[in-house]
Amino acid sequence: MKSTLAATGRLAIALIAGVMTALAPARADKAAEAFMAGVLAEANVLFDAPDKAARDAGIEALVDKYVDMDRVARFALGQYARQASESQLSVYRPLFRKYATSVYQATLDEYTGENLEVVDSIDRTERDIIVNSKVVGAKPGSQYADLVVHWRIYRDADGGHRVVDAGASGVWLAIEQQSTFKSVIANNGGGAAGIDALIADLKAKVGE
Amino acid sequence: MALLELTKCALAALAAAAIIGTASAQGVVGDQPDAPVTQSEIDAAVSGTGATEIADPWEGFNRKMFSAHLFLDGNLLVPAAKAYRATTPKAGRRGIRRFLANIKAPGIFVNDILQGEFGRAGETFGRFLVNTTIGAGGFADPAAQIGIPSHGEDFGQTLAVWGVDSGPFMFLPLVGPTTARDGFGKIVQIGMDPLFYVRTPPADIARYARAGVGGVSAREQFLDPLAEIEEKSLDYYASLRSFYAQSRKREIANGVVDYGDLPDIGEFEEFDELN
Repeated sequence: MKSTLAATGRLAIALIAGVMTALAPARADKAAEAFMAGVLAEANVLFDAPDKAARDAGIEALVDKYVDMDRVARFALGQYARQASESQLSVYRPLFRKYATSVYQATLDEYTGENLEVVDSIDRTERDIIVNSKVVGAKPGSQYADLVVHWRIYRDADGGHRVVDAGASGVWLAIEQQSTFKSVIANNGGGAAGIDALIADLKAKVGE
Repeated sequence: MALLELTKCALAALAAAAIIGTASAQGVVGDQPDAPVTQSEIDAAVSGTGATEIADPWEGFNRKMFSAHLFLDGNLLVPAAKAYRATTPKAGRRGIRRFLANIKAPGIFVNDILQGEFGRAGETFGRFLVNTTIGAGGFADPAAQIGIPSHGEDFGQTLAVWGVDSGPFMFLPLVGPTTARDGFGKIVQIGMDPLFYVRTPPADIARYARAGVGGVSAREQFLDPLAEIEEKSLDYYASLRSFYAQSRKREIANGVVDYGDLPDIGEFEEFDELN
């Protein structure tokens, strides 16, 4: 009897979820797509550069120009962002910028010699858009055939766009960073001590 | 648009009220050990956010298993995978990879059927037929050339499709990241393998050879990605757990990426007030 009720409850939830998905706005967002197309045009030039140092320097410039690093840094702290003091944050932000840039450099290195192009976009909300891109000319059966590179764009109050996350085939970088940072903070006592431990780990990782 | 939003909220509120009302009236909410309808589930369905993380109540134990795994992996699998890479040319490794994928096809087919995915079952069957006959016993992949896409399935995914929750995160040495449900699924999957039931010495050798070669072949594919993750990660265990959770979700959804399930960017919103 009770499990039947639970099953009915679950069915109701599934129905609601289905209705929500059907009603959810999933319009393509031309402005965000145009923004991302511009970013990728600059990135594709870098992917064709033969020299790793030039590519890394170029990616760093792109990241500084287009990624909202303050926002991502804060997101990566998760619920601990509220517990961080101003002095901790002032040390953490530049460290995070260096760390995230090195992750982008390593990740985008895989696309050397390839070009990415925008294929579609989805509005999660008015200001939170996901733009999808694919490798140009991927052959069926190759590793790039089903690969989708996602870019999460945040549109601020003035209509300006910044990138806040990137991922491939449903796996996102900032989400993984948040999960890992939260784990480091929690395993080092949480609160201020945990955040200090995280800052120390970041310093060690970026080689300061 | 505003009207649509309003209708959506109204519908959601009505439905949620109905469930909670019914559930409370029957005394189901909050006091049953067997799958009650919890408030957080209702919230999740209504707000469209889900966790991209797996609960890890056994983290202390898992981290010890992870250390054991790193030791075994570093001393056994990685040297074997590197030797395999050094001694076998790329074409040969690709052929072996395709052969190993092909002999998994019957198991994938069973799981496709169990999930009710008859279209995908047809693809699996087609791929197996084409690749085994004109694909040199599975070493080549003509099925991809003629446009039949490949996909993987396992019993853990079938259980997920049937509604079984993932259960706690587990890290098993040499097996890698998994969950209670997926670990159980792997055990059942062994029982789905026809070779498991043939108890002759040649069949035993074939089983061990398949496990050995399969393990080394898989490890070789992941030598570079895993090395890169380890190099960049502040906490390798936590990174693997997060990547596993995210990619497993996608696998279970058969590659359909769920954009509604991401952590709310409203978390970023507090910054706007500062400018």
